[in-house]
Amino acid sequence: MKPLSVRISGFGGQGIILTAIVLGTASVKKGNLYAVQTQSYGSEARGGECQSELIISDKLINSPTTKYKDILICLFQSALDKYLSTLKKTGILIVDPKLVTEIPSIDANIYKVPATETAIKIGNRIAANMVILGFLQKLIKVVSEDNLREIISSMVPKKFIDINLKAFNAGVSFAKDLDITKEDIE
Amino acid sequence: MDKNLKHKSNRVNSGIHFMLGNYAVVEGALAVGCNYFAGYPITPANEISELMSKRLPEVGGIFVQGEDELFSIYSIIGASLAGAKVMTATASAGFNYMQEGIGYASAVEAPCVIVDVQRCRGENFATQADVMQMRWGASGDYESIVLAPSTAQELFDFTILAFNLAEEFRNPVIVMSETTIALMRERVKIPEKESIEIYKRMYTSLTPEEYLPFKAKNNSPPEFAPIGEGYHNLYTLNYHNEDGTIDWDAQGYKKLYQRITGKIRENKDKICKTELCFLDDADVAIIAYGSEVRPALDAIEMARNDGIKIGMLKLITVWPIHENLIKDIAKNVGRIFAVEMNIGKYAREIERICLPFCPVSHITKNEGIIHTKEEIYKAIKEDLS
Amino acid sequence: MKEKINPLRKYIRNGKLPHFFCPGCGCGQILSYFLRAVDNLQLDFKKIVTIGGVGCTARIPIYLNTDSLHGVHGRTLAWATGIKLYRPDLKVVIFAGDGDLVSIGGNHFLHATRRNLDVTVIMVNNFNFAMTGGQVAPTTLFNSVTMTTPYGSKENTLDVCKLAVCAGATYVSRWSTAKPIQTIKAIKKALQHKGFSLIEILSQCPTNFGRYALKTSDTEEVLKWIENKSILKTKAKKLSEQELKDRFVLGEFIHKKRPVFQGTTFLKEEDN
Repeated sequence: MKPLSVRISGFGGQGIILTAIVLGTASVKKGNLYAVQTQSYGSEARGGECQSELIISDKLINSPTTKYKDILICLFQSALDKYLSTLKKTGILIVDPKLVTEIPSIDANIYKVPATETAIKIGNRIAANMVILGFLQKLIKVVSEDNLREIISSMVPKKFIDINLKAFNAGVSFAKDLDITKEDIE
Repeated sequence: MDKNLKHKSNRVNSGIHFMLGNYAVVEGALAVGCNYFAGYPITPANEISELMSKRLPEVGGIFVQGEDELFSIYSIIGASLAGAKVMTATASAGFNYMQEGIGYASAVEAPCVIVDVQRCRGENFATQADVMQMRWGASGDYESIVLAPSTAQELFDFTILAFNLAEEFRNPVIVMSETTIALMRERVKIPEKESIEIYKRMYTSLTPEEYLPFKAKNNSPPEFAPIGEGYHNLYTLNYHNEDGTIDWDAQGYKKLYQRITGKIRENKDKICKTELCFLDDADVAIIAYGSEVRPALDAIEMARNDGIKIGMLKLITVWPIHENLIKDIAKNVGRIFAVEMNIGKYAREIERICLPFCPVSHITKNEGIIHTKEEIYKAIKEDLS
Repeated sequence: MKEKINPLRKYIRNGKLPHFFCPGCGCGQILSYFLRAVDNLQLDFKKIVTIGGVGCTARIPIYLNTDSLHGVHGRTLAWATGIKLYRPDLKVVIFAGDGDLVSIGGNHFLHATRRNLDVTVIMVNNFNFAMTGGQVAPTTLFNSVTMTTPYGSKENTLDVCKLAVCAGATYVSRWSTAKPIQTIKAIKKALQHKGFSLIEILSQCPTNFGRYALKTSDTEEVLKWIENKSILKTKAKKLSEQELKDRFVLGEFIHKKRPVFQGTTFLKEEDN
């Protein structure tokens, strides 16, 4: 496989980092792949902004970050404004349309996933990140849905497993409705 | 000591993990038998203390958060001289404070492992700026052993190696970590317990009446007798005789420090570890260590796609420096590129060794962020054109 | 005729003396008081670790036939913590001057007392930095002339015993070299105490403190000066704060039980 780089960005409390760690853990432990996850620290992350980058590959990963990402996920308008320039040409942009309203016209595949709205419907807005993860899984398919479900169950607090899995499933259904295949990103 | 244990868990967390670099250090230390750890809060090394405080008691060890870094270093030295396998972890600003203790540990030959997660600008920015301080940061004559991991896996592996070298040579060993790798999550494979190599400190078989705490063969550490077993050893920073007592004899002083530094210098070939990457047909070569090895490898791929025959010497052991090997490479290539993340410090050491044989170019960056492969590639291209 | 040997000589490293202390210095007396206490209690010398930092007092462990650490200024309690936590069965005794313990080592002192680390600290207070030639120390009295306060010290004096009690030490007393019986008794009590014990011993330094601050290098004069300024705790109670200014209160200030420090571990030696 070609190394795949994903940047997830938004605000602290949206589960940005956890999403990257869940996907990274599943890729390494279940997919027998390599993964590198980094995140912003220090004054870079001031004001509650939050971003994490994940690279997945079937070979050893050298450079821990890439200049341009294959996939950019923005869960807040300011995150999009800040990071849009790091998205590769013809890359994939995933946004939560409730939180990101202004998208400049760009050469990219744009998916609007109503993650927050769905999570609220399910019962807790905090699970919005899992809707995104479910959607992302269908898009990149580096590991199976079940693998991810298993990792999610092992990583979130017990009482939140159910709601997280529901949110994840909702994300998977969105992707199925859109009928996307892996080829879209290559 | 393990017998009174109320809780037990595995020292060796075998399996494949997606693990934070700082955690990999802890797992390595536990796997090799660390049983005393002292630390003081400092970013970006906190995760080491945090996981240690949870895991170490579970496997029969002792964790202490002290009042400052001086406490950390001296309390681990105290425990080490009592027979414990010890470690402390800090970041650059805290590493400054520890120099004094590193000097003492070298003089009394107390095995200990110090992890320095290098940071800069008072924040969690990436750097390799402590590379020279790690060699001779303390006053007095001594030699350091410094290992530079570049991945989470190497943080695990080299922490084990650091303990083994510390125990074998009875010397402080520094694990030169960096913000970049310490706060990164990566694949780490922890092997089965049985396949982890553990060096056991050489204990004396002599009686207290026969034993002299600093009597040793040339270029070797003395055999060890722990505190509390009737050996009445005196461990002083002052110049000491073979029996540990303070002396003022100039020739004796010279002889003691010849042995203390000689045990590292003269065993370089045994201590120094490197990796040769694409050097067989190389016309030019990079020398790099730590996280900078990573973008350098990608830059090599880019350059080779352009037809530039370039290879790399990756230094695992930064100190002592593998002088002979570097010399050999310098003789066989047209140019050396010294890649590092500071104002160009180790580069001068490389220059010292290589300049009679080939020119050395510095590719350095001190912006608080690791080189990108493009930056290294560009610098190489410009230099060669 | 057989030479008479001091029965305490068996506790001396390699049986070797003389020591390096100046004529008239109190450190030799304190070495002897400590050995008398140990001998009297019949303690196993193999299970004693003595620690000194840097300074005149810090040299006492050099002469003791124990496992000893020496030679770094101010870090005695940090060493002691590592040893004591790893080997709780050992008795750790620290010999420190006032400069070693509460100037450069002040932070460790605060926290070791707070934690109630199970060690005995014998602090020799000679009111100045003696080994370096007689500079001002935290224990130097106000207006004293020293090598670095030629116009008199303008700093307040630190009462180390009070500080120790406030910080959480569980045995604290102050005596002087001129009071051997009380001092030895206090050392014995401290050695038997489980928890942080501190004995401050006021001691004469004729070579430096005497010469510069008291304008006499006569040992007896310096001892007299200490003795005249000393007052027993029971008597001091009746005096006002003003009357106690620049006086040294002698006696026991605290003796109580409190759980000792063990670090974060599941290895419990015994319940406190």
